[in-house]
Amino acid sequence: MPRWRVLAVFLLPALLLYSVFIIYPLVTALNYSFFEWRGIRQVGFAGLDNYRDLFGVYPYDQQLWRAFWHNGLFFAGTMLIQNTVGLLFALLLFRYRRGKRFLQAAFTTPYLVDPLVVGYLWSLLLNPTFGPVNALLEAVGLDSWALPWLGDTRTALPIVIVVNAWQWVGFPMLLFSAALAGIPAEYHEAARVDGASAWQTFRRVTLPLLTPAIGVVSVLTFIGNFNAFGLIYAMAGSTGSPAGSTDVLGLLFYRVAFVEGGVEAIGRSSALAVLMFVFIFGVSLLATAYFRRRERMLV
Amino acid sequence: MTRRWISGAIGVLALALAACAPGGGASGQGDDAGAGADKVTLSLWSWRVEDVKAYEKILAKFEESHPKIHVEFKPFQATEYNNILATGLSGTGGPDVAQLRAYGGLQPLVEAGQLVPLDGKVEALSGFDGKLLEGAKGYRDGKIYGVPFAYQTLQVLYNKKLFGDNGIRPPATWDEMIAAADKLKAAGITPFAVAAGPDATWTLPIVHEIFGNARYGGTAFRDAVLRGEKKFTDPDFTASIKLIEDLKPYFPKDVVAVKIPDVQALFVSGKAAMYPTGTFDLAPVLKADPSLEIGVFQVPPPPGSPVTTPVTPGWADGSFGVNAKSAHQAEALELVKWMATPEFGQLYANELKQLSAVPGVTPSDPLLAEMAGNYAANGAPYMLLVDFRYGQPNGDAVFRDELQKMLTGQAEPKAVAESVRKGVEQWFKPGN
Amino acid sequence: MTAGRRAPGRVAVHLLLWGYAVVALLPLVVMLLNSLRPTSEIFTAPLGLPASPTLHSYGRVWTEASFSTYFLNSLVVTCGAVLLGTAVSALAAYPLARHDFFGSRVLGAYFLAGLMLPIRLGLVPIFYLMDSMGLIDSLLGITLLYAASGVPFCVFVLSAFYRSLPGELDEAARLDGAGDFRIFGQIMLPLVRPALASVMLFQFVPLWHEFLYPLVLLRSDEKFTIPRGLSQFFGEYTTDWSALFAGLVLATAPLFVLFVLATKQIIAGLTAGMSK
Repeated sequence: MPRWRVLAVFLLPALLLYSVFIIYPLVTALNYSFFEWRGIRQVGFAGLDNYRDLFGVYPYDQQLWRAFWHNGLFFAGTMLIQNTVGLLFALLLFRYRRGKRFLQAAFTTPYLVDPLVVGYLWSLLLNPTFGPVNALLEAVGLDSWALPWLGDTRTALPIVIVVNAWQWVGFPMLLFSAALAGIPAEYHEAARVDGASAWQTFRRVTLPLLTPAIGVVSVLTFIGNFNAFGLIYAMAGSTGSPAGSTDVLGLLFYRVAFVEGGVEAIGRSSALAVLMFVFIFGVSLLATAYFRRRERMLV
Repeated sequence: MTRRWISGAIGVLALALAACAPGGGASGQGDDAGAGADKVTLSLWSWRVEDVKAYEKILAKFEESHPKIHVEFKPFQATEYNNILATGLSGTGGPDVAQLRAYGGLQPLVEAGQLVPLDGKVEALSGFDGKLLEGAKGYRDGKIYGVPFAYQTLQVLYNKKLFGDNGIRPPATWDEMIAAADKLKAAGITPFAVAAGPDATWTLPIVHEIFGNARYGGTAFRDAVLRGEKKFTDPDFTASIKLIEDLKPYFPKDVVAVKIPDVQALFVSGKAAMYPTGTFDLAPVLKADPSLEIGVFQVPPPPGSPVTTPVTPGWADGSFGVNAKSAHQAEALELVKWMATPEFGQLYANELKQLSAVPGVTPSDPLLAEMAGNYAANGAPYMLLVDFRYGQPNGDAVFRDELQKMLTGQAEPKAVAESVRKGVEQWFKPGN
Repeated sequence: MTAGRRAPGRVAVHLLLWGYAVVALLPLVVMLLNSLRPTSEIFTAPLGLPASPTLHSYGRVWTEASFSTYFLNSLVVTCGAVLLGTAVSALAAYPLARHDFFGSRVLGAYFLAGLMLPIRLGLVPIFYLMDSMGLIDSLLGITLLYAASGVPFCVFVLSAFYRSLPGELDEAARLDGAGDFRIFGQIMLPLVRPALASVMLFQFVPLWHEFLYPLVLLRSDEKFTIPRGLSQFFGEYTTDWSALFAGLVLATAPLFVLFVLATKQIIAGLTAGMSK
């Protein structure tokens, strides 16, 4: 069989499905950003007007940068908490025997619950009026620790990051576990024979060999964080409560496109989506290229 | 082994797809095929999932007098309704008659040409209150696109038993209200059940209307702003915002973290005495505890108010309109015509405990009757919703965010007023 | 990791892992408890044992919403989508990861692109696309859309796994005269089976919860998926939390079962991989 035919058999089914149902609608939606809209009716070419509005119309001009900054914090916090803890759990569980499968299942359980529900449950727990967290703190005499949590501009975003990490930690854990299992046992043997400590073995042998998995986890975390919506929406509403301290690009998009409606909603929200896409796609390509190079250095 | 796994997977998939294939394709057209040759089925879309049973009862009456029409009530989740309706109106299998948002929320549908203008087609509309009809009109063309079904009024609900226990009567002056609040607070009761949490920011402009409408000058101020004579940075408007800041000690602790279900629970369980809210909250509160004895009062004008009588702000809730693409327009018109009759209005008011927009309908519930009476005597438009939702950013949305900011201590009333002015001026041109 | 000798360290590890397991399992317990109490109690006393536990909410979900129908629909749609999406992605990722052909880089980026956009963005065009294909109110339409939405993620993760397999594998097989399809089916696929299981699980869960597209694309009650069905309990000013929690328990339970089955599959795959 000619080579291109073999390739076609492998590639065409996915290409067809993906192009028709994802790429075509998304490209159409991106194209919407260059038009003027009246509700769902397209009335004329608008050039870059919708983009100019995003950067020029109050309050979007301020909310755009604020949301962008919060997404950055969200990503940094998630890498630091969720992915490090995920790696730690994978390492601890690697040679764990009794109850290993139960623990893996337990750690991943929060992921099985809808983010909207997770957000809602944590709001109940952290509720300052009826919630048990503050009741508990006050009961043990830590009254000054009983903060309004999601009602305080200083604590709201960190809490969202931690709850998000709590929900997703099973994902890096599973991927790292699979990657750890793929490292030939001889490598660790060899390191031990050379007299390396556990930490040295981890730094010099395990960690470099995990590069592909770290790459996948990082890029997916980045994409997921910059598109984040459900959990934050459930915990902070569409306005990124309180006082916009948890506002992210996903919420801004939702507000412009759906909540605040307006006859120009489709044009402006599409313009915002194009900006998000260019940024996320650009960074992801660079990051993938970087990790690809690191991988090749290993071989 | 692997090959067997793959072929198994493909087999299951083929089966799954085949199983759902017959259901695909041509629905939407064949709905009424089985129901008798000349019977027409209308699809009625709504955002009120909690009203299914009431509407079935109401629509049964319609079907009695219109035996050739069957109406199917289809409710969708309120938060996503706008998108569902905008797409649904333009495709196959959409609604024939749809519940429509009012004022600015209606415009995307009007400007996309998705609705049938009702001028001259539904005669009864000429008898409707002009203020309420505004909510169903196109902003640019002034045509009427829907039959208004309800209006909302804003006031304070209070717990009669708590008032009695603490020797408090509905206040006649602002100072009396503050004194009552102090007394309640001293007794360990939250005076005002106000939420400013993530799900409640939209209620903050409502709370502002209830306490501050008279302070900024009510309808006269609104008209002055629309004519371009006054701005939102006006000292009276700023002073009305300051009232909310001053009332904060009487709101629940950590008000910015408090959500709507929390304040409903506080009020229903007798931990909060007064609930500044709209008519829409009466049914949920009574559903939570039907034995709760509730009274209602209008907030007395604060000191320094240009308006010296109490005000009941209000707005049109929405309307029912006809899909321009409906295959059964004649029947759909029959339905909305019926929705403009006192028969529908009365059924609506009785079944749903809401204030019907149909003229001449009196609510059977005494509390609702009191609210309707207050609105008829002292009604004023909830200005930011009624007039400032026609462009992006809508004035209501900016105000809501800024009020919450003020309650976290990050903005002064003056800065809030300035933000509203700035936001509204991005699109609003006075004098139109 | 290296030793079982340092007892305090081991105790700390046990404590950490089992302690965290408790924290991780809390939401299911809360959900379960809240489904057993009336809505009013959810707000005044959201934790602790229900004052008078009742299965009333379950009854309501079962009768007022035709939950069994929704369940079946969700199962057909989600399983169909995950199998289809994973099958086409497993095929596509193989040449992308292990063959350097003209345009392979561009194609890789093309597949990655779909991951970057908020799915809500495509709402209006997807509605028109489905409408033009006669797929409004059709489970087939939803299945195809769901399957396609999983492709970018699957291709991305599976490519990484294919790439991590030693290059000598296919060279040796090729010397033995095996064609691409044999190499793929008999060598590659079994080796990435743990990855397949994880990828399927991670597609399954969000699709099982997805509510926006069913809300916009499905019209008749007998075709609703679970999230579409449950959205009937979200009122404009009131939400029937008790019924909602009951529905969520019923909706999440199968995911849990599925997950336990999937971890078995993953771990079986992992051990098989290690023994080589």
